[in-house]
Amino acid sequence: MMSNRAGILAAVLAAAGLLATAPAALAQVGSGNWTPDSPSFKVQEKGCGKVSDLTFTLSCSSGSGEQRAERRYETYAGGTHQFEGYFKITSQSGSRISLKQTFHGDQGPFFLLAVEKGGRMYSVEGGQTIGGGATVGTTVRVNTINQVGGTHKTYVNGSLKHTTSSPGGDFYDKLGAYRTASGAGPITVTWSKIRFWHQ
Amino acid sequence: MIRQALAAALVLAGVAGCAARHAATPAPEGLTATLDSPVDITLHWPDDAPGAAGRMVEFATQPGGPYTTLGFLPPHQTSYRHPELLPETPFYYRVRPYYGGTSGEVSVAVPADAPDLTASDPQWPNPRAVAHPGVTTAALRDDPPAAAPSGLAAKVMTADGIRFTWTDHATDEDGFLLEGKPEGAPEFTPVEVLDRDIGSCGLATLPRERSAAFRVRAFRYGALSTVAYQRTGRAPG
Repeated sequence: MMSNRAGILAAVLAAAGLLATAPAALAQVGSGNWTPDSPSFKVQEKGCGKVSDLTFTLSCSSGSGEQRAERRYETYAGGTHQFEGYFKITSQSGSRISLKQTFHGDQGPFFLLAVEKGGRMYSVEGGQTIGGGATVGTTVRVNTINQVGGTHKTYVNGSLKHTTSSPGGDFYDKLGAYRTASGAGPITVTWSKIRFWHQ
Repeated sequence: MIRQALAAALVLAGVAGCAARHAATPAPEGLTATLDSPVDITLHWPDDAPGAAGRMVEFATQPGGPYTTLGFLPPHQTSYRHPELLPETPFYYRVRPYYGGTSGEVSVAVPADAPDLTASDPQWPNPRAVAHPGVTTAALRDDPPAAAPSGLAAKVMTADGIRFTWTDHATDEDGFLLEGKPEGAPEFTPVEVLDRDIGSCGLATLPRERSAAFRVRAFRYGALSTVAYQRTGRAPG
């Protein structure tokens, strides 16, 4: 058992953010022990979509056709998988653009996080509001935790905003800018600090 | 203090999820983070920044960041609730005031049948710097009124899009806030956050912003608070 003096010191260090902890432990968010992943990805550009590293642009206002600028990460199956990333919309006059997708293998999109005018984030499947605040110039943090065969949870800026059942099978993550069926560009969004884990 | 020490010891042991509940970790200079439930945290800070235009609240899950903005809050708000958090995760918080004056207001009414003018300037929504040679300049820190933006103008580009332009007079701004007040709203709130030296941007308007007033603020950040810390527990259920 830690002495009172040592505990007080630990409290001070914790409050000051100076607690010396292993980097792997510092990186962990969410319950359980997470193992970092580095999945490969392919860049997808369709229509007026352009990808430059982690900046994704739909340059046209077309409300039809396939308009996408995305990264498609490699497929996983089974277990629990976490995605973390930060996006900032740097320019927007369009609306209803998907920024992050969890795909259910060949069965198509399973969860789509999209943004519309005014910074409202919503789930394309069902239209449920996920949060506000994705306005131009504001960085938003996204964590998704997919327990395959259990639940898929979406955290925005640390808070749980969406939960849905997760079926079994293969999944993969996509991020970037994708025109939804009711959406149109233009939009430019930059993602940063993309990380993946599994357990 | 003993209670805090116990909580910190359990953090070190990696079992804070159960026992650190309901413990508050005070940070110097007044910022506190209280665990209201295993996954809900409320921040409190003193109203001690006279002249501030507001405060920005940030969080991170590592002590060195990256910090993410949770919101730009009114100047006299002294608490913030951060709910339904990632379980068994460290949360670090800091707040900082921001200062700066605003341009004059412009009222905009966007007709539903507004012509589409985007063909003349396809890049109109992109934030960009606009040169104003010979313009007077001042530091926000020294002379906020003289450093405030001027000449805010709004041009309806589409039935749901407005382009704003203004003149930047500040030499030390950290950025600009485009603030909007839809008809009937009680006060202005930020609708876009822009980098320093920007003098033009586009806004995709919501239906309630079809008739609204807008203004732009050059701002600089004040001093950061110290960091307040909590670790969430297991998610209920």
